[in-house]
Amino acid sequence: MFLHNFKYELLSSLRTKDMIFWLMIFPIILGTLFKIAFADIYEKTTAFSSIPTAVVEVQENEIFHSVIETLEEEEDPLLSVTYTDEEDALKLLQSGEVEGIIYLDGTLSLTVAEEGMEETILKSFVEQYTVQNKIIIDTAASAQDPTQAKAVIAALSEEISTCTDIPLTDGNPDNMVQYFYNLIAMVALYGAITGLHVTINAQANLSALGARKTCSPTPKSVSLTAGLLGSYLIQTLCMVICVTFIAFILKVNLGSRLPLVYLAAILGGITGVSLGFFVGALNLFRVELKMGISIAVIMLLCFLSGLMVGNMKAIIAQKMPWFNKINPAAVISDSFYCLNIDSGYDRFIQKIITMLIISVTFTALGVLVTRRKKYASL
Amino acid sequence: MERTVVKIENLVKRYGDLVALDHLSLDIQEGEVFGLLGPNGSGKTTTINCLLSLLSFDKGNIEIFGKKMTPVSYDIKKEIGVIMQNVAVFKELTVYENIDYFCGLYITDKVKRKQYVEEAVSFVGLEDFLKFHPKKLSGGLLRRLNIACGIAHKPRLIILDEPTVAVDPQSRNKILEGIAELNRNGATIIYTSHYMEEVEQLCTRIAIMDKGYKIAEGTKDELKRMIKNTETVSIEILGLSPETRAQIAALPHVYNTAYDGEKLTVYCSGGKHNLIRILDILQKQDLSFGRVYSELPTLNDVFLEITGKALRDKED
Repeated sequence: MFLHNFKYELLSSLRTKDMIFWLMIFPIILGTLFKIAFADIYEKTTAFSSIPTAVVEVQENEIFHSVIETLEEEEDPLLSVTYTDEEDALKLLQSGEVEGIIYLDGTLSLTVAEEGMEETILKSFVEQYTVQNKIIIDTAASAQDPTQAKAVIAALSEEISTCTDIPLTDGNPDNMVQYFYNLIAMVALYGAITGLHVTINAQANLSALGARKTCSPTPKSVSLTAGLLGSYLIQTLCMVICVTFIAFILKVNLGSRLPLVYLAAILGGITGVSLGFFVGALNLFRVELKMGISIAVIMLLCFLSGLMVGNMKAIIAQKMPWFNKINPAAVISDSFYCLNIDSGYDRFIQKIITMLIISVTFTALGVLVTRRKKYASL
Repeated sequence: MERTVVKIENLVKRYGDLVALDHLSLDIQEGEVFGLLGPNGSGKTTTINCLLSLLSFDKGNIEIFGKKMTPVSYDIKKEIGVIMQNVAVFKELTVYENIDYFCGLYITDKVKRKQYVEEAVSFVGLEDFLKFHPKKLSGGLLRRLNIACGIAHKPRLIILDEPTVAVDPQSRNKILEGIAELNRNGATIIYTSHYMEEVEQLCTRIAIMDKGYKIAEGTKDELKRMIKNTETVSIEILGLSPETRAQIAALPHVYNTAYDGEKLTVYCSGGKHNLIRILDILQKQDLSFGRVYSELPTLNDVFLEITGKALRDKED
């Protein structure tokens, strides 16, 4: 009896088009759009390109030449230099082909057309060059022992740092990955749609199918258990597809503990199904309205966990810190974040326990409501 | 010896201040096709839902096969086939899968179930649509699928709640023939409808309901004998004078007349040759008339006479 119910509940859910769209197609589309959009943002904000600069050599400067040659040997050279006369240099500056003009006439001087990051870097370069050049020349002139001059020059060339970088984790420090965590959390919560179907199809007061099933000799407990397990299974499948797509097709670095990411995603999906199961059991709204409300609530929870605005979770943490602890979307995405950032498991386990508590609570409340045997009205 | 299959005693169901069922009592015997006839909102579906233990009720007692019916009476439910007013099938499953699913809720033996499902498919004539999904079926075919899902497990008691609503005449005839065959095969049938023709054609005993009351019960002949009207004569005639109409009204066995300027309706109670006597008066006065027809009382007349209103809503 159970297997018979389970088989057809599973088959029916797998063929439900809106479920397939929200759980499989929508996240694939959104994930792909995220990837495209973030790649563009990364190019614009993070990737560095050499600053095009015109150099007008009024007086020959060998030291400057050798500095530029050294810079150009690096992988990402700071400057892309064009040696030219003043007239052409001004034309290039006006047309925007170069960011600034460096004049070499004993000392260095800089002309820029506007203010900006590139112009600031150029200014900083010219100042640093001028200061270091003066120190080296003065030291060489005043030093009685030429070896002292070499030592000063070597000291000036050395990069000194008082801080040491110690990575906390092997994870991905890129902030953009947070959006993918939120996307996975959203798909997990869309499991509510399958949970809703379970109660709607089992309750005599919610659907003709529910009424018809209630007339059969199959106990409601069997029918509900079959429906719920079927939904858990489908949601698990959807979560595996979603994480696999993000990690292996979009090649988003989800950290070094991928098996635990799968585990958290699957548990998140079960939380979503339980949420829908509970909402479906409530006899407060019409069936169609329940579906709309569920989608809207899920989107709101995801918004508050930072799906649409990256720093939203930080804002909520300031204003209502308790909400992030019970918002299922935030809990699910935080579990991924903990796996990525923390080297230990304490916070991750805490999030997993929270998901379990939410799932058990919603399922138990749903069962309490649906266990009713007769209805006052249909 | 007849056995009571369904016994409803003093059933009362209220929705707030509205009394949906008012001390309803019914006894349905084995092998009967029992009709629950009444207009929309008369309490037919509420009766069925209470009978199936879907709805709670305020007072009364329901027994099926001699046992008290409760939501967990799974042994009783095994013997009941239900065809709901609203089609209750999975949209995502095919015709065959739907019938197999519902049959499987009652029959666990796979070989037996396969045989039963095939018989049900053949019974409702859906052999050519086995792989179709419900949304691809016409209204009539969908109703047939609904019936197949309800009867595949060969129940002893079949409850059909308005199974022919929004069905084309061809499918309706097929459904009615099928129900009669199920009854011939031994099933007791409870059939609700607001189509009096169906109930007259199909049911061996009928309860007429209105506003939660059972206003009459019996065979169709017994019900018709309950009312004054035995014959209604209608004549298409123009320019009928009040004097002539009075002459007709004064005839023996005529208890009422109506005239709308085009058609004269004469209501008779008992007696023979009523039509001949009426036509004789018209011919003597040299009045020409059109179509003439005489009708025996229908269940609608029974309902009309008892409640003062027509059984079927105009839009039906």
